[in-house]
Amino acid sequence: MIRIAKVALSAAAMVFTAAAADTASVPTGGYSAAAFYNLANAYARANKPGLAVLNYERAKLLDPRDPDVAANLLRVRQSASLPAVSAGRLDRLTQLASPTALSWIGLLGLLLAGTAMLAREKFSAHRGKLLLSALVGFCLLGVSAGAAMAVWPTLHSAVVVGHSVEVRVSPVLIEEPLFVLPEGEIVRVGDEHDGFVLVRTRAGRSGWAPSSNLALIALQR
Amino acid sequence: MRKALHRRAIRAPAAVTLLLAVLTAAFTHAAPAAAAAPSIDATIEPAQISLGESAQLTITTSGSGSLSVNLPVVAGLEFRVVGQSRRIEIINGATLDSTSTIIRVTPDEVGVFTIPGPSPHSPPLVLKVLQAGGSGPSLTPSHPGSAALNSFLRGGSEANGIRLSPDGSAYIRLEVPKREIYVGESVPAEIQVGMRNGFAASNSLPTLNTSDFTLNNLSLKPDQSGKAIDGKPFTVFTWHTLLAAIKPGTYSVSFSAPFVVRIRSQPRSDSLIDDLLGDPFMQNLFGASVSKNITVASPETEFTVLPLPAEGRPTDFGGAVGAFKITTDVSSPTNIAGDPLTLRMHVTGIGNFDRVESNMLTGDPQWKTYQPKATFNKTDSAGYHGEKIFEQPLIASQAGEQTIPALSFSYFDPAARRYETVHSAPLRVRVAPSAADSAATLPPALASRAGVPAANPTNGHRPDHAVTEARANSLVPLYLRPAFLSIQSALAVFFAAAWAVLRRHERNARDLRLQRERLRQEALQASQKQMAAAAAAGKAAEFFSAARTALQLALSPLLQKEPEHIMAADIDTRAGSDSEAIRKLFAYADEANYSGSAPGAVDFERWTRVVSRRVTAEKAP
Repeated sequence: MIRIAKVALSAAAMVFTAAAADTASVPTGGYSAAAFYNLANAYARANKPGLAVLNYERAKLLDPRDPDVAANLLRVRQSASLPAVSAGRLDRLTQLASPTALSWIGLLGLLLAGTAMLAREKFSAHRGKLLLSALVGFCLLGVSAGAAMAVWPTLHSAVVVGHSVEVRVSPVLIEEPLFVLPEGEIVRVGDEHDGFVLVRTRAGRSGWAPSSNLALIALQR
Repeated sequence: MRKALHRRAIRAPAAVTLLLAVLTAAFTHAAPAAAAAPSIDATIEPAQISLGESAQLTITTSGSGSLSVNLPVVAGLEFRVVGQSRRIEIINGATLDSTSTIIRVTPDEVGVFTIPGPSPHSPPLVLKVLQAGGSGPSLTPSHPGSAALNSFLRGGSEANGIRLSPDGSAYIRLEVPKREIYVGESVPAEIQVGMRNGFAASNSLPTLNTSDFTLNNLSLKPDQSGKAIDGKPFTVFTWHTLLAAIKPGTYSVSFSAPFVVRIRSQPRSDSLIDDLLGDPFMQNLFGASVSKNITVASPETEFTVLPLPAEGRPTDFGGAVGAFKITTDVSSPTNIAGDPLTLRMHVTGIGNFDRVESNMLTGDPQWKTYQPKATFNKTDSAGYHGEKIFEQPLIASQAGEQTIPALSFSYFDPAARRYETVHSAPLRVRVAPSAADSAATLPPALASRAGVPAANPTNGHRPDHAVTEARANSLVPLYLRPAFLSIQSALAVFFAAAWAVLRRHERNARDLRLQRERLRQEALQASQKQMAAAAAAGKAAEFFSAARTALQLALSPLLQKEPEHIMAADIDTRAGSDSEAIRKLFAYADEANYSGSAPGAVDFERWTRVVSRRVTAEKAP
């Protein structure tokens, strides 16, 4: 049992080291929620809803609990006559804490649940208490997993930054457009072919749109 | 040498004879077509040459009939026919035929010569011959010794303020509106570079031949026009630029430019065919000329540069010299606190706009200011007239009615010879509080009562945030990053595996216990059967031995000992009310085991009940 605890602690230390490297405050470079928010405000004032929505979404990824981001994003969407986006149940989980705190909560829940389940097998005299501890750990882990499930679609979505982007049935220009995406719309992206990206709207319509008119929310460094 | 002279003596009369024959045939052929009265005219170009050069006398006959062209005879001048051209024009159905005879005039001495006209009614022509090597425009051959080469053109004349190069193929002229200027003052200048068509070419910009002046805004694309100088076609390139002096004093300014000119490759007197082929194309065709690089400079222009007076110089004077006016405006008269405004200052007028600078609004506690940015829109090609616009971002520190103070700009007016300071009018801006500020301060009802505009979150954006130095390396949340997920997954797998191993061990142990229990029960039943068989046969020793075995198996779970290790001493109160009987049974069994005999009268039924009770008690939950 002691050996198991040692292994768990060393694994936690590794996770902490890796996470600290990602979340450390660095003076230059990197992404800042405030910088994305200010940039989005500038685009909103310049009447560029696509780029404004894009940067608000990026700011929301870094700081999902910022009410200013949500308010200005809502206003830009309304100004651009975009349909309102209803928050899902899982989205509420992202509001509980910062992404980093939710990550640590999930890890703590995993350690608690795992250790309790192992101890329960070993110490039959305290099976009830250990089962309760395991349930608490699973709940914490579930919060983190729920937040991850809520954010996951955003990481594979893009914002339409072009004006009235035509979506075609196949990735060639000679095809007649199926429908038109308004600027600022958020779409799920799939395959990419020859300058076109397979997109799927919230309404379930899909087609190929020029990749130059789309910007991935989770940009890669 | 003698052979060359002989060849020339033969060649010249033959050429003249040929030309006269062509001339006569042309006149004979043209005479019936001409309808107008015959006329004759003569011109000489240039009217002034140096000794050793030649002028060109052109006698033009036109109209019907034939007029003979007689070469004039003037002492000190040599006349030689070098070419003839004919032109036919049809005007309103009437045919006008004209023939030009080109005669080369070579002086033998210095002086002013009067050449009689070709007809008695024609005015005489005057040719002025100067001493060779006298004052003339600057022509700098690129290679020494090239001065011995003569060009096709005669030049060095000065007409209409233009001084041609000695070969007459190019010139440079500088025109400025005034010669007395101040240090730093920009003077619009016009640089003209003229090139004789077909004889001179240049691909370089004119350069300033002094380091006391600066040349600004010299365009790469000059204006291009055509011009006739002494009857010869010139292409004129004109640059509009600004000249500025960098220090006081008296300076001479000139410009120069490199040219490539066509220069005769043989001495003129030895090349009659060159004179016959006066056209540049024909000259190039027959290889009579070579290209030569020369540099032509403009006449020097003298400037008097005055220093800027130290008296009365404003503190904000930045070196602007000219005549300027300023106006200011703001990007929006209403604004929200936290949102930037743009303050613009327009400086219009004439002068050195490159020295027009302004810090605009600084040090006002009501406004957070940033470094202004300037753009210049010129309204002429040189950038002497125009408008310079300064744009400065401002952020109001407080909400409410705010005033942007008047701005000032100082410059030196060279016409008035004093410094001037112009001011703009102050601007008023209405700054509304930001949504966050108003929500944090007053409720809407109180805010409207207090005269503060209520914040409407749907009308304005929430203000910008202060950007801290905290940065994330990725937009992906930590719980979705691959490293975090892989380590978390590894932990989960580890816990699951450990749990499974523990469960398996537990199950195996339980299985072992169950197996042992089953074996115990089987052995217990077998012992009871042995007891019954021994009791039926009356074998007391076998009965007690089987009974002890049955009790050991029955008491093993209770006493937590292996059945064979349970002795009479281990039987305690846990065995209940039968403990004494069980100890006695164990004693009989030992006795029967060691002595081989048993008590004489054995109550098998009693001992069987004791064992049965114990086995039943053990089976009970």
